[in-house]
Amino acid sequence: MSAVNIWEKMLNVDRRWIFLGIGIVSIVPFLIGFGMPISTTIEVEGIFNFVNELGPDDAIFIGFDFAPGTQAENMPMAVAVMRHAFHNHTSVFMTAYVPLGKGMAVSALDYVTNPKTDGYYERVLYEDWVDYREAGITNKEDLTTAWESDGNVLPEGAVGWVFEGRDYVLLGYLPLFHLVILGMTGSIETQFPVDYHGNPIGDMPILMEHKSLRDVDLAVTTSGSSACVAWITYGREKIGLPIAFGVTGVMATDYFPYIQSGQIVGQMGGLRGAAEYEVLLKENGITRTTDKAFTGMDVQSAAHIFIILLIVMGNIAFFAGGFHKQTRLKGRR
Amino acid sequence: MYDTIGIWVGAFFTLAIYSFLYKENPVYRLAEHLVVGISLGYTMVLIYNTVILPKLLEPLFAGNHWILIIPGLLGLLYITRFIPSIAWLSRYPIAFIMGTGMGIGFPLTMKAYVLRQLEAAMVPLYESGMPWYEVFGNIVMIFGTLAALIYFFFSKPHKGLFFGTGSKIGIWVIMLGFGATFGFTVMGRISLLIGRIQYLLGDWLHLIE
Amino acid sequence: MKRTVPLMIVMVGGILMMVQYFIPHQYSQVIFNNYLEWAPIVGAFALILGVGSLTRLHTHKIRRKAQNWQYSWAVLIPLFGMPLFALIIPQSLGGGSDVHGVHDFLFMHIQVPIQSTMFSLLAFYIASAAFRAFRAKSALATILLLAAVIVMLGQVPIGDVLGKWLPNTGLWILRYPNLAAKRAIMLGVGFGMLATNLKIIFGVERNWLGGAGK
Repeated sequence: MSAVNIWEKMLNVDRRWIFLGIGIVSIVPFLIGFGMPISTTIEVEGIFNFVNELGPDDAIFIGFDFAPGTQAENMPMAVAVMRHAFHNHTSVFMTAYVPLGKGMAVSALDYVTNPKTDGYYERVLYEDWVDYREAGITNKEDLTTAWESDGNVLPEGAVGWVFEGRDYVLLGYLPLFHLVILGMTGSIETQFPVDYHGNPIGDMPILMEHKSLRDVDLAVTTSGSSACVAWITYGREKIGLPIAFGVTGVMATDYFPYIQSGQIVGQMGGLRGAAEYEVLLKENGITRTTDKAFTGMDVQSAAHIFIILLIVMGNIAFFAGGFHKQTRLKGRR
Repeated sequence: MYDTIGIWVGAFFTLAIYSFLYKENPVYRLAEHLVVGISLGYTMVLIYNTVILPKLLEPLFAGNHWILIIPGLLGLLYITRFIPSIAWLSRYPIAFIMGTGMGIGFPLTMKAYVLRQLEAAMVPLYESGMPWYEVFGNIVMIFGTLAALIYFFFSKPHKGLFFGTGSKIGIWVIMLGFGATFGFTVMGRISLLIGRIQYLLGDWLHLIE
Repeated sequence: MKRTVPLMIVMVGGILMMVQYFIPHQYSQVIFNNYLEWAPIVGAFALILGVGSLTRLHTHKIRRKAQNWQYSWAVLIPLFGMPLFALIIPQSLGGGSDVHGVHDFLFMHIQVPIQSTMFSLLAFYIASAAFRAFRAKSALATILLLAAVIVMLGQVPIGDVLGKWLPNTGLWILRYPNLAAKRAIMLGVGFGMLATNLKIIFGVERNWLGGAGK
């Protein structure tokens, strides 16, 4: 076998061997668990610091502007911001730019309020605290005190209560969402008369305090498509609403101009961005542990090294085999 | 029980899709078709629950919003698309949505994509206390934007000092940008795989937390 | 009626909405607010096109026993099963609660895993493509390749271990040359969108009329 044939054989290797390699490097680091530290960047710190300044009188929007296809990247971002807001007692409106995003919002809320999640929030459904509302107790602190004085005990493992209609409301999806953003600059209720459970949102304390996007402090769009830009075009440019991006790795590089121009307060780019937010939450004592994005970063390291090795090997075989002088390379599966 | 069955079903379909990496097969094809039906079925339910019922039918039946019959009928014209003799009527709702959408978007797009970007491209190259790599970065950013714009300007031949050299620098800057995008794309794709591995090893097999 | 009226609707609607932005008068606001209430209702009906086309395509396949026609049932059954289970028989599988019905099960445990996994297949293909197609054939290709490798290493924790210069250089590429390239593209896209908007509003671009009768 001549030397050239070895290089050719190498370049024509059955791609399923490469698939197997990716599979292995994606599984092994999980089982070993290196837990390498992650440094944070100003792009993510911008969002963290902004949310960190907010309190019980403030409100944010979290846009679940992604479908299940990119949930691995977008979900940890949304979850991290939601936990941060719940910790600060900042109210959270949840919307979806794409239909399946509504399911993602339900999923994120279920995760943050699931007893299996470390540091979860105990959810109180809207109908469960009707008596307190009718008695005019809607202030977060008073509500918690009254709720607990009536014998409700925070379950072990939970870090706080979240009251539907006061701490959060899931509005969901509407078609032509860019127009919905515009509409919400005037009134949230005219766009979403009811929440996803069918409760009229006009009576909710969260809405009485924040009637339109003008009364909202930040919109964080977690997006797997250019949907996020609609928040800038129709929210930021219309009324100056501060926007933060949580976007997939594929799109993240496209939006650096928005950071430098000040049109967004920051950006979480891909799983790395979400992992940075998790690190900031932990370092600032907001959560006890990091979450799924941070755990995944070991695999990310291993897979990147593996792919760089593939690029290097592919180039060595290509040049050593003299294929750069040929116009065509015989192809095989 | 509900969750356990759900996770086993989810794991089955996850592996069914991965079986495609070895070879195309009937289980993969089944999964591929299911996803189309479920996602559109889900959207139908959502549209009914969030628009048709609360924004159209309920106000109409309440009797005080008869005006909503206009958008309702306009929307129904989409059906005519399936009746060849009157299919042209479906252009009416399309025209309504498109025309108004274009009009509304125009000034805001101008601001978001053009005016703000031009404004942000005009930054001082140097301010006191700025480290050298930021000064160099600002030079690259300002002249790089100009050069990349020259590269995309096809009305003049790319020759001479301004258009020739400009477009050459432009393509270098663009290549650096595309390289960064490729790096991030690899990161993004791997992240999606990580999500599924976490599901299989964690939620399903409980091998990791 | 067939072409002129739709073109007129586009022009009048477009100009009206553009003008209202600059004239925040009471009347223009009333029109604008009404429009914002109407638009999602009209837009919602566009779903009919998707459902109708998909149903027609797959019923034809089944009727003609076309290749792989059996799989068409896997599209049609959930397509109409989802509304059936959500709106007519929303009974819970999980005991009493309004969630956890068949509709939610199909979404959470079939749709979500399948769609997520389909996207994740790209990880395998991008690795294969990196091996086969990413060549340093020219100076420009080498620049692209180097930028990619530096950014890839800089974005993961191992980059910090290999040397602080890696993430720093990666971030510098992202914040300056990458920004310059993307801003130039963004400006191009922006001008393109504005030009297309005007062309559609003034009836120069008419492709959207499609072939639905002359």
